[in-house]
Amino acid sequence: MFLFRFLPIFFLIYFLVPGRGKNVILFLGSLIFYAWGEPVYIVLMLFSTVVDYVNGRLIGRFRGRAQAKFFLVLSVVINLFILCFFKYADFLIQTVINLTGASLPLLNLPLPIGISFYTFQTMSYTIDVYRGKAKMQKSILDFGVYVTMFPQLIAGPIVKYSSVEENLHNRKIDMVGISRGVKRFVAGLAKKALLANTIGELWAMITAMEFGSISAFTAWMGIFAFAFQIYFDFSGYSDMAIGLGEIMGFHFPENFNYPYIASSITEFWRRWHISLGSWFREYVYIPLGGNRKGVLRQLLNILIVWTLTGIWHGAGWNFLFWGLWFAFLLMIEKLFLGKVLNRLPKGIGILYNAAAVLFGWVLFALETPVEIGGYLRAMFRFGSNLIDSQGLYLFGEYFILFAIALIASTPLPGRIIGRLEKSETGWGIALYRLGEKVVPALLLLLCTAVIVDATFNPFLYFRF
Amino acid sequence: MTCSYALYGNACRGRRQTSGKFAKCGDKVFKDGSQGLSRREVAMGEKKNALFTTAVVAAIILIFTVADFFRGDRLYSETENRLLAVRPVASRESIFSGEFAKDYETYVTDQFVGRDKWIGIKTRMDILLQKKEINGVYLGSDGYLIEQHLPEDYSELLVAKRTALLQKLVEQWDATVMLVPTADNILTDKMPANAPYYDQAELLEMIAEQVGDSHYVDVYGSLRAHAEEEIYYRTDHHWTSLGAYYGYLAWAENRGEDPFAYRLNAMAVASEDFLGTLHSKTNLDRKGDTIRYFASTEKRPITVTYDFQRETDTFYEESYLETKNQYGFFLDDNHAFIQIDTSYRNGKTLFVIKDSYANSMIPLLTPHYQRIYVVDLRYYNGRLSALMKQMEPEEGMDVLVLYNCIHFLEEFSYTE
Repeated sequence: MFLFRFLPIFFLIYFLVPGRGKNVILFLGSLIFYAWGEPVYIVLMLFSTVVDYVNGRLIGRFRGRAQAKFFLVLSVVINLFILCFFKYADFLIQTVINLTGASLPLLNLPLPIGISFYTFQTMSYTIDVYRGKAKMQKSILDFGVYVTMFPQLIAGPIVKYSSVEENLHNRKIDMVGISRGVKRFVAGLAKKALLANTIGELWAMITAMEFGSISAFTAWMGIFAFAFQIYFDFSGYSDMAIGLGEIMGFHFPENFNYPYIASSITEFWRRWHISLGSWFREYVYIPLGGNRKGVLRQLLNILIVWTLTGIWHGAGWNFLFWGLWFAFLLMIEKLFLGKVLNRLPKGIGILYNAAAVLFGWVLFALETPVEIGGYLRAMFRFGSNLIDSQGLYLFGEYFILFAIALIASTPLPGRIIGRLEKSETGWGIALYRLGEKVVPALLLLLCTAVIVDATFNPFLYFRF
Repeated sequence: MTCSYALYGNACRGRRQTSGKFAKCGDKVFKDGSQGLSRREVAMGEKKNALFTTAVVAAIILIFTVADFFRGDRLYSETENRLLAVRPVASRESIFSGEFAKDYETYVTDQFVGRDKWIGIKTRMDILLQKKEINGVYLGSDGYLIEQHLPEDYSELLVAKRTALLQKLVEQWDATVMLVPTADNILTDKMPANAPYYDQAELLEMIAEQVGDSHYVDVYGSLRAHAEEEIYYRTDHHWTSLGAYYGYLAWAENRGEDPFAYRLNAMAVASEDFLGTLHSKTNLDRKGDTIRYFASTEKRPITVTYDFQRETDTFYEESYLETKNQYGFFLDDNHAFIQIDTSYRNGKTLFVIKDSYANSMIPLLTPHYQRIYVVDLRYYNGRLSALMKQMEPEEGMDVLVLYNCIHFLEEFSYTE
């Protein structure tokens, strides 16, 4: 639907309309895109946009004076309030109920799509304007484009205002950039449809089973499947966003850098969901003092940032503990483990990272303590049920997909393609040229087959 | 002559030095590292490639977008055996609740041009990735499609319920019980490695114990012994006439009857392009199965009466061979009640309670009975014991319960 109705119509109009009109089309197109999935809460997004546009102008007007700070605080408060209300209200109410036994009614509010992304983006604007890192945007259209741009609206990357400020009114559109964007987009689509959705079916099958009766082998296979699913799903979406942006002349920041080859948790979080880590670092960690106020303060800062990171991912205790798990590892890495890992061979670091991340995914993916406990017990049931025929059967059906997923999560394919591109032999170049023309089309056809066949198309980071 | 590098629109890097000269690149080369092609030529080359790549992708998207507009909507999909979504109606509530968007998405996907071909591509991709099961059908070796039955679908409670009902018939009517295992239990070496299946051997052992050996026909053992032969269809969940024959031998042994001398090498061929239920579920290109039957079942004249109405003189309805459901050839597919009068005047009567598996087996019983009543509980709504008492002749009758194990667990029930 998106692929075969919205995109062609949008780009047809976008490329026909000259100059300034392009932003109008982009804005309107993005509103239609959002309204299609969220017909009611589009109002909320527009509200957030207008509020921060006004705040931005006021901060700019009162630059250097006390009022500027007032409007900054106002902007942050309003955004956080919207976010907390729609996302965390029921969680808080439920906690109160559990603690006090009072019978309060739950609000049962649906979570507006993309709220965690666009509130963070508008906050980055007002904060950057206050700091002088960005100029206030006079055109509400351009600002609206920044907030609502459909490529990154639903699932990021979280684009800081300062990084696209220039592009809003000045974009170069050229054939090479477009084709790069197209290739990037198709690569992302393939990651999502061909890898994430398919290996996600294995995870769905395993979670439907009784955790008490699955073998350890099956349990490990399952969490690996989830790890690959969420990576290809999320990084695929980011690729599609970056690709679409590139087609229009925007340069969004990279959001993933092969996180599964990291050899420490510190490194992992510099490769996974980079834009979020970067946002928290710039707007929370550093303002709190970062590592400039002594070790103890640094540890506290890490704890705060990671508590927030955890719950940003979802309103639930499991997400909080997920964040705390990483806070703990980051702290001990800062204290001594990091240096130890540096001296050990990289392989050990990768194994450590894999174990830590996989354990984290169990917390992330299964939300209740009962399920988490059951699954972990299954994973470590080495004695009584290490491996069984069911596990072998599933492995037989999925080992090729696992192999492909494993290779695709390393820089290896990228390096091979890069080497072909820069190859100095005739056949190397020929292969690259041929591949460049044929592979995107082939992938697109395969993706279409998968999309038409399935009505099952989940996006895991949807609770934002 | 230009070097192969420059030929593809790249700039000669000027780095391939073979003893101080760039021997490969002809007149367009350089010695001092300057570009073989002008910067403009390089840019043009890159632009052309970019244009091509983009054009191909854009063309694919546009072709299918436009094609969808020209093609009318289909109502029904034969391959998927379901109705396809129609264009949803836009109303205020449907738009605001998000239903319209969801339904429209389903509509576009369901009506996508070439949907069946796309599904076929996806299926082939799955098979390449070593998927062993499609839509509840295992892709066995040697071209066998085998229906999947998972243990978790058959609870102990269900088994107990059905067995209790069965036991009543055994006690009241001295019924003979013939439960046929499905292919996944017999053709075990054709199943994908480690594939889960419901173990019917255990079930049958338990039932044999319950009803007693004199009432239990060991079809399992008989089929097991001939597992290498073509006793199940490759594209359908039924057993073949050969399989039915081995079932018949087991029955004869249990009843102490002399089996009629059916000649296996003289079986008649009804069809050679039978693509059955499992083929419909998987939609892969398969060679058709061959349907054989024992023509000598009709050596002497018979009369078959369907539902107390239609009379005919044959077990085998050829009209079904022109349709998709060729198995209906046996005993005209599904009827609530059938009466068969044979020319073997031995005064014996048989009352069969059955599912579709029995259809290819019942003709084999012809030489043993003068009259055979057949009831299919799925379609018969009356009270079973009343019917049986009504049909029972003075001399009494034999009663046979003939089902495959899965249908027995899923469907066997009657109103007393």
